[in-house]
Amino acid sequence: MSPNELPQHEELVDEKLVISFFLAALGYLFVSMLGGFLMALQLIRHFPFPGVELLSPGRWRMIHTNVVAYGFLANAFLGALHWAVPRLTLRTVLSKRLSWFIFAAWQVVVLSTAIGIMLGQAQALEWGETPVWIDPLALAGLLLVAVNFMAPISRLTGPMYVTLWYFMAAFVWTFLTYAMGNFMPQYFVTGTAAGAVGGLFIHDLVGLFVTPLGWGLMYYFVPIMLKKPIWSHGLSLVGFWGLAFFYPLNGIHHFLYTPIPMFLQYAAIVATIAVELVVTTVLINFFATLKGSMSALVTNMPIRWFYSGMVFYFLTCLQCSFQTTLTFQALIHFTDWVVGHAHMVMFGVFSFWLLGVMTYLFPRLLKTEWASQKMLSWHYWLSLVGITLMSADLIVAGPFQGYSWAQLLPWEVSIELSIPFWAVRLVAGLLMFSGLLVFLTNIGLTWAKSRKLSHVAANV
Amino acid sequence: MMSNSSAGESPIQRPLRRKSRWSTVILAVVILVPSCLAFGKKLAELISLAQGDADGVFAITPVVNYLLASLGFFFLFCWAILNGMFSDIEDPKRSFLETERMLDDERI
Repeated sequence: MSPNELPQHEELVDEKLVISFFLAALGYLFVSMLGGFLMALQLIRHFPFPGVELLSPGRWRMIHTNVVAYGFLANAFLGALHWAVPRLTLRTVLSKRLSWFIFAAWQVVVLSTAIGIMLGQAQALEWGETPVWIDPLALAGLLLVAVNFMAPISRLTGPMYVTLWYFMAAFVWTFLTYAMGNFMPQYFVTGTAAGAVGGLFIHDLVGLFVTPLGWGLMYYFVPIMLKKPIWSHGLSLVGFWGLAFFYPLNGIHHFLYTPIPMFLQYAAIVATIAVELVVTTVLINFFATLKGSMSALVTNMPIRWFYSGMVFYFLTCLQCSFQTTLTFQALIHFTDWVVGHAHMVMFGVFSFWLLGVMTYLFPRLLKTEWASQKMLSWHYWLSLVGITLMSADLIVAGPFQGYSWAQLLPWEVSIELSIPFWAVRLVAGLLMFSGLLVFLTNIGLTWAKSRKLSHVAANV
Repeated sequence: MMSNSSAGESPIQRPLRRKSRWSTVILAVVILVPSCLAFGKKLAELISLAQGDADGVFAITPVVNYLLASLGFFFLFCWAILNGMFSDIEDPKRSFLETERMLDDERI
């Protein structure tokens, strides 16, 4: 396509929609962190609302996890997709009206989920506690998202950039994963088979919804930021197809030592280790791309978020390939090790990437530089120190709890020894929460600055 | 927007490109061969389970889920090969950046 035939950015991207998705995402992140904070207070026996059913920490823990997945991550991804897909394909989404409808409908889904959980209507599925009456609505929403974005992608001809492969797969996988997890155990299969499907759902939500969208965005934004192409596009496709074939069976590793046949448990372990090898190829590609531009880690804030997230990603996958071995699993199952691992993945990796994307896009969307570079730096460091401290703390706590259980000590002993770890966890969470508050303040100031500038420009 | 990636390469770039292609192939083989072997072995065990002990048949549910998803991606992979999606494998990384540059240039 010649420069004259190129569509305008304004025709392709609805910037107001991108901002709306990002603001909704950050609002949900605030709510989710508040839920985490309440649960952390409960763990150290300082819960401020004992006996209030609607604020029960058990329910707020579920709000914490569900709002992160469907409120923060989904909204932030949708915002970034509305920027990246039209620019990559040079075509608008199927319908901008449909995009606004999806935006409104998705907020209804997330808010209904939170309210349903508060009222005690949670579905008995880990990380899929969305009340059963919301599931068909959420699934219809995911179908609309897929149709809206697949329309421009499907009209492309010739070799496609790796980001679009990841996005295409994510649209299909997310729909299938949600349907499998929320409908099969509820209506079609029972007992151990339902447990196995639940395990697949939990892990596939990470690997087949969040991971392809996350990596797709990294393959899109990192070359733009570094102003050079990815080191090897061929290797990036090895990573994509490796994920496609090895990831779907990983979830059973959540149910080692259960009545699920051993061959299936071993298959999940092998698939998990295979994914670690695939992940290594992806990281080699990104770090080879960074070669010669290392100073960007200091000077470019989005790049710093992206690569910090990649380091956490490598650590979590490495951890995963160890913790899915039977020996390791016997010690850490049900302990806080797993909670530390989950926080490192969800916050240290995917939230870092999305916060990096927002750090890059907000000034472009608001047409002005950030109001405070210092506040950007504070946001990054508070988040980094917070998540490092929280993950390390919980990962260390895990073996203490595991050994106390293995020795058949009274349950109270493991609680007593955990409390210092849970106190540190609270401090770490507060650091991350403070980082978010600094970021929200910076967005507010930048918004005010942007309005002031546009007001001045209008008066000139 | 399409460019010939090998045209205009300096003598220094050519061996680098060859090296990168070889490292891609080696990594692909190192990852795919052992994983496919392990997968094949487990598939054989699944088939023998399905034909044998009735109590173990419930394990087929998650595996069938996995096989259906993988089968879809296998067909997509075949479609991609047949439609030349991997014909000039390194070109998309350059053409996408060029498009991005042009989109941003027109805004200035």
